[in-house]
This record gives sequence, C-alpha cells and structure tokens, in this order.
Amino acid sequence: MIHYEPVIGLEVHAELSTKTKIFCGCSTQFGAPINTHVCPVCSGQPGALPVLNKQVVHYAAKMGVATHCQINQLCKSDRKNYFYPDLPKAYQISQFDVPICENGYVDFLVDGKPKRVRFERIHFEEDAGKLLHDEGEGTVVDFNRCGVPLIEMVTKPDIHSSAEAKEFLETVKTTLSYLQISDCRMEEGSIRCDVNVSVRPEGTEELGTRVEMKNINSFSAAVRAIDYEVERQIEVLEEGGKIVQETRRWDDSKVKNLVMRSKEDAQDYRYFPDPDLIAVEIDDEWMKQIESEIPELPQSRFDRYVNDLGLTPKEARTLSDSFEKACLVDDGAAMGRVSARALANWVLSDISKYLNDKQMELSDTKLTAEKLVAMVELIEKNVISGNAGKKVLVKLFETEDSVDQIVEDLGLKQMSDEGAIEALVDEVLAANSKSIEDYKGGKKNVVGFLVGQCMKASKGKGNPKMINQMLAKKLAER
Amino acid sequence: MELYQKTASELSSLLQSKEISSVELTKAVFARTAQVEDTVGAYISTDEEAALARAAQIDEKRAAGEELSPLAGIPIAVKDNICTKGTATTCASKMLENFVPFYNATVVDKLNEEGLVITGKTNLDEFAMGSSCENSALQTTRNPHNPAHVPGGSSGGSAAVVAAGETPLAVGSDTGGSIRQPASFCGVVGLKPTYGTVSRYGLIAFASSLDQIGPMARSVEDAALLADVLRGADPMHDSTSIPREYDSLHAKLDPDMKGVRIGLPKEYFGEGIDAEVSKAVLDAAEVYRGLGAEIVELSLPLSKYALPIYYILSSAEASSNLARFDGVKYGYRTQKADDLIDLYVKSRSEAFGPEVQRRIMLGTYVLSSGYYDAYYKKARAAQRAIRADYAKAFEQVDVILTPTAPTTAYQIGEKTDDPLQMYMGDICTVSVNIAGLPGLVQPCGFDSGRMPIGMQLIGPRFGEQKLLNAGLAFERATGLTDLVAL
Amino acid sequence: MAITTQDIAYIAGLARLDPHGEGFDKLAEDMQGIVAMVDQLQELDLGDITDVIDTERKNALREDVEIPSYPSEEILKNAPVVECGGVSVPRVVE
Repeated sequence: MIHYEPVIGLEVHAELSTKTKIFCGCSTQFGAPINTHVCPVCSGQPGALPVLNKQVVHYAAKMGVATHCQINQLCKSDRKNYFYPDLPKAYQISQFDVPICENGYVDFLVDGKPKRVRFERIHFEEDAGKLLHDEGEGTVVDFNRCGVPLIEMVTKPDIHSSAEAKEFLETVKTTLSYLQISDCRMEEGSIRCDVNVSVRPEGTEELGTRVEMKNINSFSAAVRAIDYEVERQIEVLEEGGKIVQETRRWDDSKVKNLVMRSKEDAQDYRYFPDPDLIAVEIDDEWMKQIESEIPELPQSRFDRYVNDLGLTPKEARTLSDSFEKACLVDDGAAMGRVSARALANWVLSDISKYLNDKQMELSDTKLTAEKLVAMVELIEKNVISGNAGKKVLVKLFETEDSVDQIVEDLGLKQMSDEGAIEALVDEVLAANSKSIEDYKGGKKNVVGFLVGQCMKASKGKGNPKMINQMLAKKLAER
Repeated sequence: MELYQKTASELSSLLQSKEISSVELTKAVFARTAQVEDTVGAYISTDEEAALARAAQIDEKRAAGEELSPLAGIPIAVKDNICTKGTATTCASKMLENFVPFYNATVVDKLNEEGLVITGKTNLDEFAMGSSCENSALQTTRNPHNPAHVPGGSSGGSAAVVAAGETPLAVGSDTGGSIRQPASFCGVVGLKPTYGTVSRYGLIAFASSLDQIGPMARSVEDAALLADVLRGADPMHDSTSIPREYDSLHAKLDPDMKGVRIGLPKEYFGEGIDAEVSKAVLDAAEVYRGLGAEIVELSLPLSKYALPIYYILSSAEASSNLARFDGVKYGYRTQKADDLIDLYVKSRSEAFGPEVQRRIMLGTYVLSSGYYDAYYKKARAAQRAIRADYAKAFEQVDVILTPTAPTTAYQIGEKTDDPLQMYMGDICTVSVNIAGLPGLVQPCGFDSGRMPIGMQLIGPRFGEQKLLNAGLAFERATGLTDLVAL
Repeated sequence: MAITTQDIAYIAGLARLDPHGEGFDKLAEDMQGIVAMVDQLQELDLGDITDVIDTERKNALREDVEIPSYPSEEILKNAPVVECGGVSVPRVVE
C-alpha cells in the first residue's frame, strides 16, 4: 500500500489592531451596532476616496521583520475586482505583485522537534463586511467590518500534517501578540485562514493537485479540515480516482467540506494598481524605527527559559506563549532584585491559576512586574510569609494599592524579632510538656505540632523558619 | 448690457461696490434661465429657493461689513457628477437618477466657504463618458450658438449654461477633454488643471488617474478667479491631491507675451483637423507673434498613440470604478431578480446606457487574464513615454498651442451611431490628461456656420499661470470674450 | 487581436452585464471597431516593458486617528431595500 504525505500551505488573515480603518477614520472596534462604524469611504459611496493609514504599513512591516522577510521598502496598492454584497466598492484594495514583505519564515517545535515554515509573502489589505442571514428571504449586509485592516500571510507548502499546521498557527498568533499588532481574538474572527491541501506518495517530490478550503474559523477547525481533506484525497486516489483542482467550503459543524467552485470558474480578478492611491515608501529611518520595536520573540525566550532557568519545556512554553507572562518574568528579573526563577514560579503557579479561574488576561488585571518583584522581595527578606504573598497577590490583581500598603492593611508582616519568637516558643513549650516528653521519647514528629501551635499563638504572623530554628534549639536544650 | 451677460469679474465689482445685490443677480440669472432653458436644456436640476436664500445670506454678510472673497455672491452651476449633500447627483444616468449624496465634494465645500451661490446641477454625458452630451440618459442639451448642434461633452451642460447666460461660472470635470471640448464648442473658457491640484473627493469617478475638476467661465480672468477657489491640497480625503503652495493665479495674471515661446506641434495640424479650425488656431499664433511671442514648431511624435492609450487606461479604470453600481447600496435596482447574480446583471444592464456599457466592456477586456500585458501594461508604459515627450517639448517652449477638437460643434444625432467616430473627436485633448498637464481652452474665432472655434494652450505641470497669462494676452488682443449666445 | 464572440460573453460575465440584453448585439459589433482602434498601440515598440511603481509621488498617509462615523440612516438613505438596519440582497448561498 502506498503511503501518502500531505502537502499543506496556509493563507492566514489577521486583523490589525489599529484604532481606525485602513482607508478612513472610522473605528475598528468590534461588536458595534450594525452600520454604525461607517462613512462614505468604507461604504463605497460614489466619489469617496481612500487615504492609507500609516499604522497599517508600520504593523505589516513589523510582522515582516519579525518573520525574517525581505521588506519591499517601495510598494503599492492594487485593486482586486469582484462582485459580492460584502464588498461595497466591488473591488478589494490589496497588494498584488509587490507585497510589503516577501520570503520569510518562522521556526517552532512540533513534538519537540524543530520545524521551519517559509512565508511566500505578507501583504496588507482591507477586510470585507459581514453578511447576516436573517429569518426572511434576504441577506443583510453590515458594513462595520469593511475596511478593517488585515495582513494576509501566505506560506510555502512546507506543512505536512495537521499537527504542524496547528503549531504554525499558534506560532503566528503568538508572534502577532508579541508585536502587539493584532488582538488575536479568535472568537471575533480576528484570525482566519484558508488551507491548500494536496497529497503525494511519500518520498516523491512532485506536488499533487491542490484543493483550497475556505471558511476555517479556528485553529481546531483547521486541524479537522486538514485531516478530513487529506483523508478524502487519499480515498479518492486509492479508489483510482483523480483529485480535481477546486475550492471547497469547510463546514465545521458537519465536519465535512463541499465544492464551492471548480478550476473552470476560477476568478479573473483583473488586478491593477489602484489609481486612487500612490506608492508607499518605508525609508531607512522608518525601517530602523520598525526594527527597534521588535521584542525578543517567543522561540528565543523559550530556549532561554529551558536552558537558563531550568524550566521544563511545558513550563517554558506556558511562559513564552504569552507575551504578557514572559514580560512579567523578564522585565521583573531585569530589575535585578529577585531571581527570574522565583518570578517564573509565581507566574506558573498562582498567577496562571488566577487568570485561568477568572478567564482573564494579565492586562485585564492591575498586576505589574514592579509590584510582583516588590512582593517576592518581601518574601525573600522574610518580611512576609509565602502564604501571605498569595494573599497580597490577589489584592495586586484587583487594586492599585502598593505592596507595602496591602501588607499593612492585611496585617501580614511576619514576627521576625528573635526575642519575641523566643518568648513565643517558651510559652508554647510551657503549655505542652507532654509533647516535650514525647520528643525526648523519640517522637520527632511532634515538632510539626509544636510549630503549628506557635503559628496559632502568633496568629499566623510568626516567621515559620525562625520558629523552627528556635524550637529545635530549645528542645535540644531540654 | 444685462446682468446675465457680464463676466464674474465685472459682477464682482458691482457686488463689492454694492451697486447690485447677490439676490438681484441671482434673480436675474434665474430669469434668464427661465427664458432660455427650454431651448438649451443644460440643467438637470436647479434650486432657485436655496440659491436665493444663500444670496440673501451673502448680502447680509456684505451689509454687515464682513470681508468676503472676490466671488462671494456670484451664481455658479455644478456638473452633476460632483456630490452635493442633500441634492440629487445623477451623473445623467438612470442608475443614479434618484441618488442624493449625504456628503459634499471638497470643491462644493470650497464654493460654499467662498460664498458662491450654487444655482443647480448641469447635464453631462452619462458618467462623463462622451463628447456631445448625447449620452445623457436624462435630457438633451443644445448648443446656445445653434440649438441644432451639440454643446460638446461631457461637461456640455456646464459649457452651455455659461454660454447661454444662465450663470457666469460653472464647474466641470475633464478626463479626456470634458471641460475643454465643450468650452470650445460653446465659445467659453475652460481650464483643465494639472492633475492633483484640485481635490477629486466627491467627484464620482470615471477614470481616477485622469479625472480633474476645473473652472468654466466667460473670460480668462474669471477662470483664474474660480481656479483659485477650486485648487488646493486635500490630504485627508484625496491621496492624489498634491500638497504644495497654491498661490493666487488671478493675482499674478500678466499678459506680457514678449519672449514667451509658443510651440506648434505639427501632429495637431494635419489630417483629420478641419481646415477652418487649423486656420483659426494658426491665426491665433500670429496674434501671439504680434504680441512679441516666439513661435516654435515642434513635434510630439507619440501623439497618434494618445487615443488608444487613453481609451485603454480610462476604460480600465472605469470598469472598476463603476462596478460599485450594482443595485445593492444605492441607485437603480431591477424589479425582478431571480438571485444575487441576476440582480447585479439586470440592475446594471437596465440602468447603464450603451456608451457606459461599451467602456465597461472594453475596460474589463483590457484588464482580463491574458490581455493585461498587451493592453493595460503597455498603455501605462506608453503613458510614461508620452510624459517624456512633453517634458522634452517644454524644454523648448513655455506653452503649446493646438486646436481643441478636429471640428466645431456638429449637429445633434450626427455621430451617435458610430462610437469610433465620436472617439476620434478627442484626439486633441486626451494626451493632456495622459500626461497630467494643465490645458486652457478659449474662443479664437468662428467657422463659416458661426459656430465657435476654441484654441487649446497646454502647459507644463503646475504651469497654469503661464497658460492663463497667454490666454489673457490673446483675449485682450482680440476682444473675443463675453460671448453670450442666444 | 480581434475580439471573439466568446470573449465578449466572458467579459460580459465578469462585468455583470447581460449579453442577451437589449442592444447588446450592436455593442458587440461596436467592440470590434473599438478593439481594433486600441490595437494601434501594438505598433508602438517600447522594448521590454517592466511594470514599474509610479514614484513621482510617495506616501500620502494618514495618522491612525479616529474621525466620527456617519449615522447609519445616512448610509442607508439611498439603499433600494433595507432590512434589520442594513441593505438587503437576495439570499446568498455560499
């Protein structure tokens, strides 16, 4: 039996998180009432003209630099002509033969093994509107999304499994969020992808006939769609059939795809340079500015977390997957007051748990690296206990108060005065002579009980380490 | 002399000295309109009430001693492909017959800011595609010099209102000669400004890279005054508008022709150009020589390719620009559609006239897969070559003098069956748009049938001042102005 | 390059025009002459043509600053059919 290898290429669309649309000053805010973020330009009124948003160029180039693309410092806008109700001008302003970025790649791990996927191009373009299908006979058009800026990222056919596709998509998403150029809100459709799939007998070089799949709205849907299509193509070939070059529409609820259009009615988009817009030039100074804004990217941080902090790959991934979490650790450690490892421990445990429970992002809370460092520092200096730290953390998420203020308000300062601890221990030992007998009789585990009694007597404020030491000393003396 | 016969400059003086009021003037032009409009048919819509209210406002401001711009209180007509908020803007098409924009074109805002009084919207060839106004789906406009003849196009309505005394000023648009050719046919002055110097925002696009709004008037001085109002950068609305200093053209008008070099390109005086037209323009050259100008014969060898280049580029852009008229968001929608595609096809086929459909077909063809390189791409390259041709010519001369059209205004219906013959009428004007240059047209005589002949002065980029100076010199030397007909 | 009947039908399809509509036969006929006219350009030898970006002007860019949108009533005022706050078209089956 022939073994088939899937060959997959992706076209990923990501909405850019600019304040305004690509060619007009309307807001890009998601979820506004129908047709309220609209003007003559984005609703395609006769006579209206586009003016390109500078930030779109900046963001698109930023993604290009972060993915090792060659930046075409001189590029232009083109019209892609087709009729559809969600496209009010009946053409989409996009980039055709000179995209802003070309020939890049991203590296990532799949099951621990390194993988590289190359980008053919990244270009900017405008999003289309939304079609709403009401109960009646018609389709209603909402123009709010018309003109929201997108970047389209087209890969080479370097992907060979749905697992690789998923990891690639996650990497793209993480990169976008590191660059802070997209909200990456999947549920709002801010990242979408089309998938090109073909299969070929393993070990052969020639590409099989390719099928394009549209309407894939989540990464998990991409996995299902790829698995389905690969299986379908193999089945066709096994039965002696031929793959037809066509576009199929993925129906995620039915977990299957259906033909949208065949190659014969391939669209003739009649691309030509948009005469309403002029050339875009990113001069060297602008390029430098863009390059200076690229932070250390996830793959590099991941490596550092594993190699330098000794985190497990899973732990390192939890941090590096989130720009906010990674920054909390790295920015905090950069202050030079506490160790990165200590910060990482907090982020991986209590902080991640809190965010998970509350379904929040770090930026939804009031926690800052500065405050986390201050809190950890207090623990390391025995001013508060680790347990108290957990209580402080909850307040740090929810209030603007300083760490000192919270410690004060909650009365969490530890009793670390040696004389006071000694008095406390003496008091507890005097009241528990039975335990001293037991200890002398060899029952060493009564120490735990005695520590507990000391903590109780100190209303939880006694420094446990000092109490331990003091108890050990006093018991030894008896 | 009646008020309606006066130039805007004369009227401006009368208004400023308070010898007349804007209301008086506005009433006078509307009275004239009532008298001649049945014959001329230049207006698609007028709004006398709004105009009078506006005029009264300006009069009040003047009475209150407010400083007003020179054209404040002067009536003006606007071509009906330029968006006016709250007033139908039809493009003379069944497609937009009931379309009422909710925003103003930048130039309309400028007219309002400067206190001009908009009288109404003028007829044109549907979507500005044509050279006789006969492609208007809404009405026939007649040449005030002889109502059996066409007024030219596409800004035929704007030329006709000025020529007939219905307003002293009008705004037109020019993609391949649409201001200049009707100015020539109707015996008025028309300026097609350098591409990018007047905002296109709100001009319903025909061919974006060629379209330019400009003034139409009864004298060169008037054209300069109106150009000063229309010109200016519009960076928030039009990426193709050029940010630069726009000095007043009117303030610097200077008719001294001594030492000015005027080029006569031989390609514009040969076969296909009416002998009477050629002679009138060559006579004009002699007038200039008499004024001290130097006449230089030159060659623009690529001229013969201008027409194919123009029809490829303008139609390609039009096919895309007019795709938005699909029966969905505004404009005509068919009564009976089986499905979405049927709705598109029927709405567009029922509402676009034959000329618009021809241009959309040609434009779609030259952009379609397999033909792009041979047509569109080649035309763009040829456009660059034409620009270089002109650049070279302007190393030798200050302005170029040519006929505006091969003939004077022909009879209504004479050319409607043969679109190609109609296209040939654009040979003298299209290269100016292809090269993005300014072009000034003004009367230089009459043919044996008493129809006006217009000459065209072409200048280098941003060379409006040179054109208007030369135009003024000719006007003063010949007295060919104030040509109110009928 | 003469334009064929097939070409004309194909272009009409792309342009969403009705090749069976009134007057279309005349249009198709006119197209022959018009295409022959624009074909004169083929005589002109410009050597190898590369698509170049027009760089006479560059960077007409807008800052990312919000400008208030228009009321939706305005946007919909000219729409032939409005339902549920938007323009309505015959049901789209994707």
